[in-house]
Amino acid sequence: MTGFSGVLYLGRSASRQPVRVEIDGATMMIVDDGEPRTLALADVRADAPIAGVARRLSLPGGAVLETEDAGAVRTAWPTKSLLERTAFRLESSVQAATAAVFVIAALVALVIRVVLPAAADPVARAMDPRLERALGAQAQAALDQGWLQASLLPAERQNEIKAKFAAFAGEDAPSAKLAFRRIGGPNALALPGGTIVLTDEMVTFARNDDELMAVLAHELGHVQNRHALRMVLQQSGLAVLATVIAGDAAGMTILAIALPSALVNARYSREFEVEADDYAIALLAKNGRSPQAFADVLRRFANDERTAGPRDPLWRYLSSHPALDERIQRAEAAR
Amino acid sequence: MDGAAPDARARTYRFAFTGRAGDYFRIWIVSLCLSLLTLGIYSAWGKVRKRRYLQAHTRLDGDGIDYRASPLAVLRGRGLAVVFLGGFALAAHFAPLLQLGFLLLIGALSPWIVVAAARFNARTSTYRNVPFAFDGRYGEAAAVIIGGALAVIASLGLAYPWYRMRRARFVVAHHRFGATPFSTTLDAGEFFLTYLFAFFMVGGLIALSAGAGFAAAAVAEDGDALLLALTAVIYTTYIAIYAFIRARTLNLIANSTTIGPVKLEGSLGARKLAWLYVSNVVAVLATIGLATPWATIRLARYRAECLAARTDAPLDMLLAGTSPDATATGAEVSDLFDVDVAL
Repeated sequence: MTGFSGVLYLGRSASRQPVRVEIDGATMMIVDDGEPRTLALADVRADAPIAGVARRLSLPGGAVLETEDAGAVRTAWPTKSLLERTAFRLESSVQAATAAVFVIAALVALVIRVVLPAAADPVARAMDPRLERALGAQAQAALDQGWLQASLLPAERQNEIKAKFAAFAGEDAPSAKLAFRRIGGPNALALPGGTIVLTDEMVTFARNDDELMAVLAHELGHVQNRHALRMVLQQSGLAVLATVIAGDAAGMTILAIALPSALVNARYSREFEVEADDYAIALLAKNGRSPQAFADVLRRFANDERTAGPRDPLWRYLSSHPALDERIQRAEAAR
Repeated sequence: MDGAAPDARARTYRFAFTGRAGDYFRIWIVSLCLSLLTLGIYSAWGKVRKRRYLQAHTRLDGDGIDYRASPLAVLRGRGLAVVFLGGFALAAHFAPLLQLGFLLLIGALSPWIVVAAARFNARTSTYRNVPFAFDGRYGEAAAVIIGGALAVIASLGLAYPWYRMRRARFVVAHHRFGATPFSTTLDAGEFFLTYLFAFFMVGGLIALSAGAGFAAAAVAEDGDALLLALTAVIYTTYIAIYAFIRARTLNLIANSTTIGPVKLEGSLGARKLAWLYVSNVVAVLATIGLATPWATIRLARYRAECLAARTDAPLDMLLAGTSPDATATGAEVSDLFDVDVAL
């Protein structure tokens, strides 16, 4: 015969009654000041065990018996659910908790570095191109209302660049459409759906048309690789991961998830820039031009106040683009 | 039973938190690990186990608050939320019209979410085997939340404190402990004062950071480091203002609440709460998340320690509900959707 002490809550009011429980074979006896009560063990349900939480026994009729003596409860009412049993065993073990830290680190790294990028690519390709064009039209409308102004470039020059670009891009040309705008600085950007916005300032910034084609080839790389759509997909996946990790973080610690997410998103963006650079270098080579043109235009970006970007090494991890000197080195290595 | 005056039996019970960061860390890390390995499915079990730990260790007169939610009900709710909200969020990326529809939908659903979450959380929480209950209805919730939101917009934000007060009052007033309804004397006056004070704090913050920014730009060679420092200062001040509003409003809500013979007393300190928030964020960032359970525990401890129950009668006198299926009508629906909405 074994026994344990606990507290009986009858459930008719918020009262508590310390009791002693004696277990004999398949029955238990609850002893307090009054008449002892005898019950079959089989009529009593035990809760799922949690490390560090008192066990709760549900008695027939709605009463509850709570006890700190987890061992006695485990012996009399073994946990049937494999899931709850396993969870309890893992939670009770320091080694398991330590192992969990490493498993989580490996899983998070795997999801961020491999799973999300690998999954986003085929999903982006399988998606209806109309969706992507709708996304691009939305972005362009927003840009035209905000920062972009109509181009002042003569129509002949615009048509000349369009024709050169069509010849340069070859079979990939139909996927992109050039749009000329002004923004106050040399820039080019690829919108989802294939529109490449080229600023007047960029046209004059490029010293020759090889440099201009190199810049457009980089943007065409974004279009060809459907980077805008993949970015949306990867960011969404990352948000889901962040929710699983920090879903119930207490109060303001939720702020702490914002910075790591921004770092990972910036990393994805830098990876896409490298991919687009590689595409540009390959396209230059295909046209019989030297990747040096691309390196040259990047170098002049680096030397220009407006486009050089912050020099502090800390910013590299927050930046959406890889450092210009790295990109220049890559282009020159491909000569 | 006895002839003593009620005052002689008046007693104040302080809430106490007895959980330990080490214990909670293991429950938390196992939950996170298994959730990732099972693509989120275990998160329902993990949520119930974590919440059971935290509530069981939040004690009044020696007894904790039992959390009895079924993990399957939580899982169903989460599945529904993921499919429903996730689908819409993704679709809204591509069509602005859908985005508007999505916002309207969230707006229309929010009263229901508040009611369903309060009902679920109340129904699954018991103290000494007596369950809590929530009997707020969608209609009133919609009037309070949607009507309140429209009033906030119409008044250009001036009605916001009133809206927060009405929302808190709705949630508190519809709770019961067993057969005893909660009642509240909450009014808008103190809420307005709190937000007015916070408004001046925000104004001061903007002036301060603008001044500091100009000074930094004028003096510094290395702008980046100063920019970072300034950002940190702004975030810290922002958290301090948030903590101030939270401490003040939670105290107001607690101090206006009575449950039969029991009167709640809240004594959160804005400075202490701000310190906890700021140090929690720093600790969580510095440990790439590993300090999260520690942060949770110390916040739970402080919040419990700053809550007390003053009562004229023994707690034993609080009776359980007379009709246990009074809430059964909404039970099925609320089982479908489990969401946490803060008071």
